[in-house]
Amino acid sequence: MKKLLSVLLAIALLASMSVVAFAENTASEKGTIIYGTSTEIGGDFAPGAWWTNNATDKMIRDMTNDYAVTTTDQGGQYIINPTICANLDSVVNDDGSKTYTVTINEGLVYNNGEAITAKDFVWPMIFSCSKVATDTGAKLTGYLTYVGGQDYYDGNATAVSGIRLIDDYTYSVTIVADKIPYFYDLAYVADMPFSLKYWLGEGLDVKDDGEGAYIAGDFTADAISKQLEFARFNAGEDRVSAGPYNLVEFDKAALQATFTINQNYAGNFEGQKPSIEKIVILRAEDATWADQLKTGAFNFYDTITDGDDINNAMDIVEAGGFGYTTFDRPGYGMINFQCDFGPTQFKAVRHAIAKLLDRNEFANTFCKGWGSVVNGPYGTGLWQFQDAEEWLELSLNTYEYDPNGAVELLVNDGWVYDETGADWTEGHIRHKKVTAAEAGNYVHNVTLADGTILMPLIIEWSSSDGNPVSELLNVMLAQGEQTAAAGMQINQNVMTFTELLNYYYRDASQGDKYAVPTYGMYNLASNFTPAYDQSYEWTLDPDMIAQGYNLNRLLNESLDALSMNMVYGVESDDVDTYMTYWKAFIMLWNNELPQIPLYSNVYMTVYPDWLEGYEQDSFWDFNQAILYCTVAE
Amino acid sequence: MGKYIAKRIGYMALVFLIVSFLMYSLYNLIPTDPARAELEAQKMSLKPAEYEQMYQQLRQKMGLDDPLVVRYMRWMGLWPDVDGSGFNGLLQGNFGYSQFFKKDVVDVISAPMGNTIFINIFSTILALGITIPLGIYCAVHKGRKIDNGVQVVTMLGYSLPIYIIALIFMFFFCVHWRIFPISGTKTAGAIYATRWDEFIDMLYHITLPVIVMTFASLGGMTRYVRSAMIDALSMDYIRTARAKGLKEKVVIYSHAWRNALLPIITSIIGWFISIFSGSVIIENTFSLNGMGKLYWTGLNNLDFELVLAIQMFYTIVSLVGSLLMDISYGLVDPRVRVDK
Repeated sequence: MKKLLSVLLAIALLASMSVVAFAENTASEKGTIIYGTSTEIGGDFAPGAWWTNNATDKMIRDMTNDYAVTTTDQGGQYIINPTICANLDSVVNDDGSKTYTVTINEGLVYNNGEAITAKDFVWPMIFSCSKVATDTGAKLTGYLTYVGGQDYYDGNATAVSGIRLIDDYTYSVTIVADKIPYFYDLAYVADMPFSLKYWLGEGLDVKDDGEGAYIAGDFTADAISKQLEFARFNAGEDRVSAGPYNLVEFDKAALQATFTINQNYAGNFEGQKPSIEKIVILRAEDATWADQLKTGAFNFYDTITDGDDINNAMDIVEAGGFGYTTFDRPGYGMINFQCDFGPTQFKAVRHAIAKLLDRNEFANTFCKGWGSVVNGPYGTGLWQFQDAEEWLELSLNTYEYDPNGAVELLVNDGWVYDETGADWTEGHIRHKKVTAAEAGNYVHNVTLADGTILMPLIIEWSSSDGNPVSELLNVMLAQGEQTAAAGMQINQNVMTFTELLNYYYRDASQGDKYAVPTYGMYNLASNFTPAYDQSYEWTLDPDMIAQGYNLNRLLNESLDALSMNMVYGVESDDVDTYMTYWKAFIMLWNNELPQIPLYSNVYMTVYPDWLEGYEQDSFWDFNQAILYCTVAE
Repeated sequence: MGKYIAKRIGYMALVFLIVSFLMYSLYNLIPTDPARAELEAQKMSLKPAEYEQMYQQLRQKMGLDDPLVVRYMRWMGLWPDVDGSGFNGLLQGNFGYSQFFKKDVVDVISAPMGNTIFINIFSTILALGITIPLGIYCAVHKGRKIDNGVQVVTMLGYSLPIYIIALIFMFFFCVHWRIFPISGTKTAGAIYATRWDEFIDMLYHITLPVIVMTFASLGGMTRYVRSAMIDALSMDYIRTARAKGLKEKVVIYSHAWRNALLPIITSIIGWFISIFSGSVIIENTFSLNGMGKLYWTGLNNLDFELVLAIQMFYTIVSLVGSLLMDISYGLVDPRVRVDK
């Protein structure tokens, strides 16, 4: 037995030592980016979240496919991509629909050298309108966007009339009238080319007989499923793509993806091509990422969000070997109110809560100095914020910490009674006389002998478990002396995030108790995409609200109209009108205060010190920024 | 023996059905809506009517509006599929579809299972290779300094949570001395000339997790073996054997160890069965793509078909394991008749 043990130990030791030198050389090679990601690679590399929406998979897709006709620039604004698009014309039709005619540049090729033509842009759109896509499990809704798409989806047409193949390098798409005008309408033509042969297999072709474009051949789920599945998960030299990098390997066992430069890449919208030869993406563990970075397991760590982690990263940078960049989050963390029942239905109460919380102190404590306070539904990384920063500073109510001001607001709003209906005195919870409609079925209501209904200033707060924001909020607001002194009680109810969402959505399908308005306050966070679109989020339509829109349940006609007009009432080139709506929307929102913004983080990315030219921003991610980088001599 | 095994397999099938129904029902008690979760990311790009249309389609496709029993039977393969295409469940070999990874569960599980088995085989062999001789040695030398020393160390290993051991070992071996890599099963970006190079690189990466797992499991088994051996060595037949003038080695290994094996065999077989199950803590700490981590990912993302498939697999492994244990009793101890 001793011999066996000795042999085993010796083998392990020898094996370990024999590869030490080999491994270290590979991992710390200058010129190779080893990118640590906190989101594990899922391995589904299908375009545009057709099936899954894993963040790292998306980045990999974007690294290998970026020949979009329209794209977003460093500030997140939609632009036409001149590397791909030779010409883009648009015309509004009599029925209100809008037709875009796209001519792509000749000479574009995939990574395998095959030419890219208009057919490569058109088939994914037809696919997105087809029942075949749904049958394969893809979440595509193109049939709702393109004229004739619904008929094609329903089987009433053999071609999509709103998608036309004009010649080898020209095609057109017509967008349905109810989606026009749209401020971000360039997003409707952010079409990308994909190899028909690689994705759907041999024997299929794109045709247009004058009635619209269609996929000719055996275009059925059964016929294409096998090839589609292969194309989704395949990595290697045989993967056909058109982006700055080729996905040359994905090790499923190690969950590690390796990229090399695509020599056939024509450049991004500025003609920029990559010069970093090799990129490896692997998993960074939340608990050990700092040690992984220090020991060379990876040399690039993207978008560090937590304040403590950023301070750790700064220590690592100071020790040498790394550089860093910081950028603003395009979103914010907030307290979310439901404004149709209980005390939070009253604007004065929402305002008072804002004044009872020292938000500057909160943001500073939570973000450890790496964050700031915003006063509306925006993040400091949005171009709208940057355009209107001065105006925002001058115009918005900042709800400074002011417990006396909070009390004044409550008194003026009628929160002046105790539970017996007598005048409120210190040590009691404030009550307000409310109508039966205002009282609703709020569980804490008190009905006096004379029928008067008193609503107590008790706010039921739903917070998810293990959430550091909740913990700090509990200390600084719910348990804060100033809150009790103001006659307010905030009850923290900790639950799983799933449970929280059920209450937030009032999802009766998950149980009758969820349909009952129970919690007036939630703490959540939100991020924006380059298309800042709040449409329907403030709808007054009860059916839509039941479906999950306007979860704040703030019924304000002006807010609804502004959020709709901001995107559906402005042409894409009319930035001034858009900003007028945007400012009015922000101003009204700031006054109604359906949410209290708590913090907008500053994010940090650490990279090796030999990497030059790395500049990241809210909407300018690693896959875009790395194209501009070089290796220092 | 054959009749006994057949009877046990019948019982196992029944237990499997009961466990599967209980597990399925438990997961369905969790208040979540997979259709809503599926559409949440697309919500902003859809108009309300479009969202509702897709939501209802998805609920129908997922069979969410059917009663629990129907959904269970469909999952088991005892009820026709939603699209009416026939029976296509667990009994037909369909382990389900991962809503998170959007592919068949079998495809999701294969790579992590390979990693887990690879790591656990080394860990199990190493742990048993150390603990059994050490336990015997301590029992034979009971009360001596070395025995007392081992008792202290094993008690320490037994008491310390594995994540603490992992972090301590990680600090010294990876950060301080830089002997082993800190995470993963492959050197970043490595291109291997041969399969042997790949094997060696993987071995290098899993050495520290294996050492941690071995260290953490030393305490329990060493003390267990020691205790069983002390009991066996105190028996009259040992005194008789020694009185007959048998060599001490023969007394220990042929007489004492064979009798001590009976209470230990359960644990030993349990260990070998556990090579299929990953360690959530070790795999997450060392960033290893194994079954424990996959199970954790499945739970966090409410991917119940994946989690259920993993649990059903472990149920089968446990049931088979318990059968093997019972049979092994008969093999180890002739006094036990498993076919009675």
